[in-house]
Amino acid sequence: MYNKLLIFFLSLFVLNGYGQTETLNVKGYIKDQSTGEPLEYVNIICNETKTGSVTDSFGFFIISDLYSGHFHFTISHIGCETQLVFADIETDTTLYFTLDHTDHIIDDIVITGSNIPLSTEKFETLTSQDISDSGYKNISNILESISGVSTLKNGSGISKPVVHGLYGNRITILNNGVAQAGQQWGNDHSPEIDPLVANQINVIKGTSSLEYMGSNLGSVILVQPQNIGTEPHLNGKASYFFESNGLTHATNIQIGKKTKKIGWRLNGTIKKGGDKKTPSYFLNNTGTEEANLALTLEKKHSEKLKTNFYASTFNTQLGVLRGSHISNLTDLEQAFQKEKPFFTEDNFSYAIDAPKQKINHHLLKLKSSYFLTDTNWLNFTLASQLNIRKEFDIRRGGRTDTPALSLKQYALFLEGKYHTHSNNGWKINSGIQVNIIDNTNDPETGILPLIPDYISYESGAFVTFQNSINMSLIEFGFRYSNFIQNVVTISKDVNQQIIRFQNIYNNLSGSAGWRYKANENLSYALNVGFGQRSPGINELYSGGLHQGVSGIEEGNLDLKTESSLKSTFTILAGISNHISFESLLYFQNIGNYIFLEPQDEIRLTIRGAFPVFKYEQTQAQIFGLDINANIDFSESIKSTFGYSYIKGKDVTNKVALINIPSNVLTSKIDYESIHAIKIGNSKFENLGFEINGRYVFKQNDITSDQDFVTPPEAYFLLGLEMSTEIQISSTRLRWILKAENILNVEYRDYLNRQRYFADDIGFNLITGFNLKF
Amino acid sequence: MKKIVSIILLFAVVLFSSCSKDDPVTTIPQEVITTLNYTLTSSTGETFQFKFIDPDGDGGIAPTVSSEIIPANTVFTGRIQVLNETLDPVEDVTLEVKEEDLEHQFFFSSTLNTTVISYQDQDASGNPLGVETGFMTGASGNGQLTIILRHEPIKDAEGVSEGDITNAGGETDIEVSFELDVQ
Repeated sequence: MYNKLLIFFLSLFVLNGYGQTETLNVKGYIKDQSTGEPLEYVNIICNETKTGSVTDSFGFFIISDLYSGHFHFTISHIGCETQLVFADIETDTTLYFTLDHTDHIIDDIVITGSNIPLSTEKFETLTSQDISDSGYKNISNILESISGVSTLKNGSGISKPVVHGLYGNRITILNNGVAQAGQQWGNDHSPEIDPLVANQINVIKGTSSLEYMGSNLGSVILVQPQNIGTEPHLNGKASYFFESNGLTHATNIQIGKKTKKIGWRLNGTIKKGGDKKTPSYFLNNTGTEEANLALTLEKKHSEKLKTNFYASTFNTQLGVLRGSHISNLTDLEQAFQKEKPFFTEDNFSYAIDAPKQKINHHLLKLKSSYFLTDTNWLNFTLASQLNIRKEFDIRRGGRTDTPALSLKQYALFLEGKYHTHSNNGWKINSGIQVNIIDNTNDPETGILPLIPDYISYESGAFVTFQNSINMSLIEFGFRYSNFIQNVVTISKDVNQQIIRFQNIYNNLSGSAGWRYKANENLSYALNVGFGQRSPGINELYSGGLHQGVSGIEEGNLDLKTESSLKSTFTILAGISNHISFESLLYFQNIGNYIFLEPQDEIRLTIRGAFPVFKYEQTQAQIFGLDINANIDFSESIKSTFGYSYIKGKDVTNKVALINIPSNVLTSKIDYESIHAIKIGNSKFENLGFEINGRYVFKQNDITSDQDFVTPPEAYFLLGLEMSTEIQISSTRLRWILKAENILNVEYRDYLNRQRYFADDIGFNLITGFNLKF
Repeated sequence: MKKIVSIILLFAVVLFSSCSKDDPVTTIPQEVITTLNYTLTSSTGETFQFKFIDPDGDGGIAPTVSSEIIPANTVFTGRIQVLNETLDPVEDVTLEVKEEDLEHQFFFSSTLNTTVISYQDQDASGNPLGVETGFMTGASGNGQLTIILRHEPIKDAEGVSEGDITNAGGETDIEVSFELDVQ
């Protein structure tokens, strides 16, 4: 868990002053947005004059000897992301800043910041600072720092988030308000999102996400890009990262400007990494390459009408461990015997050969907001996405350069939303949505496709109600979705007949939640949600040999819609000023839960004998507990502990569900220097040290007939972090040093498919620079 | 409001269900192997066949596996033929294997330890390929003969050139087992 220190510059009021003198004074107050408490030790520096001040215990500061003109102020506070604020100063001026300094998780109770949705569901937020300090990681690996979130991996470069035991088609990922369209069904398909475009990532560990399209079984990941801001001059951020493991270089540049006519922001990332290394050998062919670009334009046509345009392109190439490319069970068993995977070489390389994945994802989005009144508004969104996925295998006859899987998916999304407040305090949010997905296999592969071509239409409508009554927050809502799938399959026999299917599903979901604030230090939230998910295309129609898993997978045309009932119960408590904790208890029951069941059959093919897996349905239960505790030993020494416990059961067959994450225990101790430290002429601000540990328990529930090998042993990873900032004229430099897996332990993780073949990665030293200008 | 929503939804349902996907381009899979023939020829010119045929690929109709009774205490020359019979004319995949001889190797193993199988051909680097073999039977008995074709084996790994598959790695393109009846 990263520090939940948020800083939001929410409002800047320039109050009138008088008394035209040659030199001016700028004074002001900085308060905590959540608690209204004054914030002490906040640094304010005027970039133009290099003069500055530090707030006192009243949150008060004064900068004297300014003259009239345009000024930029750098506002920094320990653990928060430094803010750059622009102001026109003509007279003596008083500035009011409200910073959301949610130092403790307990402060979530009083969330009023505009960027964090007020909800009875449990929100976990990764701030801009959390994201940018982990800019070398992919989005799933960044999310792993949240308790209750794990990653399903195939090596370290390919990973997808697992929230409360669900992943892929069962959770929804929204990139800038648009449901991420792609080949989400694949266990080795990462979400195609550049985390560095995001300013904030929220994970709703919820019960039913009624507002969003996609499956409504519970959790949602919201990726929010950076706002354009109010700065009328060219401004931005440049960062660079280097990782010793994999010799990865990553650079991100963001620039933007707000003019009277239009606001714009451009964000670009380039990443290149080579073979990762375990404590004792290289993982050959595990390099990654990535190049992304995103553009945001914002135009305010009038006080009532605002339009936002967003375009992004995400392009990546990911290597898959050469030694993990196998065919039948004999190959797999032989791979298990090897201490080092086959094809392990002594030399590091940046080369990415087959097996590899090449993915391009493009998004265009246009959103208009029309304000009827201050509390009634309409939103229209039009978005389209193009996802191109090519997977390369090692093939005979010079076909290695021809993809073995080549899919093109086009998605079109239309949405109209209406938000209103009733007279008696109810906030009502309603909307209708249409999402069209057109998925086509490129015949270039020369292989019968694993999943068929299809067009699917999803149309839905939702309405949610929310109200605060005394110390309670109440919300409830409903959603109806209609799904139509037009599928064209090719029969697997010699005749290759074309068979068409049309499936129509009507899904209902609903949820209700109640949050009660008992007192300043105690609050509860209870949430119950019902959701449905119709079977995915792969679950219905996939068929054939899945080489990656040494098995034959068979779709099942008789699958029915999954129905889930999930309840969450959250307690947020402050025991004293220095100790607080939160716990989230959840229980989910999924009827008709779709899973790949090993069949009794072993099928003989010319490649040898393969076990057969078929998509079947069962009654599943997932329950667990996420606990976080914060203990502050002093103003500068703080600690955080987290524990995630989860169990998944197949109730009908009385066995454990596969791919349920291990239990995890995390802890970290921070030292943060409140005062700047001077060394020579340099002033080091916001100096911080952190030591962190992560203990992952063994997944003991899986029996030997559920997996090819027993789940790996428990492991413990130790890490260190250090960061500081210095002001160099009008730019601010942040430096980060991290060390991961310091003890260089050899370990394998249950949710990493690469565990069949190789150890996970060893010691990694990361250094990063971040320049704000 | 509700009326409008339901009308739009109804309209959408009618509109969407009427659009459908174009016929997909059916591709004739090029890399399929349907057949493996292992033919033993004695010095007298008598031939004995081991045959594995799966015309419709994985799944569907189960493959047919056949073998003939072979005489004891005899020396044969063995020859492998690999075919893709889904194509017309039938493709002889053996040619492709020979062309990419550096990336392929056949491995033979018999549970009947009186049978001795030896490589009689080489790839461009002088390592065995296994399309051509020598096959020698001893006393009569029953067992199993397994033939494996590995794609991209590590040919210089220990034991691989002697026909030991343990350190070969790579990916199995063919793995078939036959009844071995020596009389």
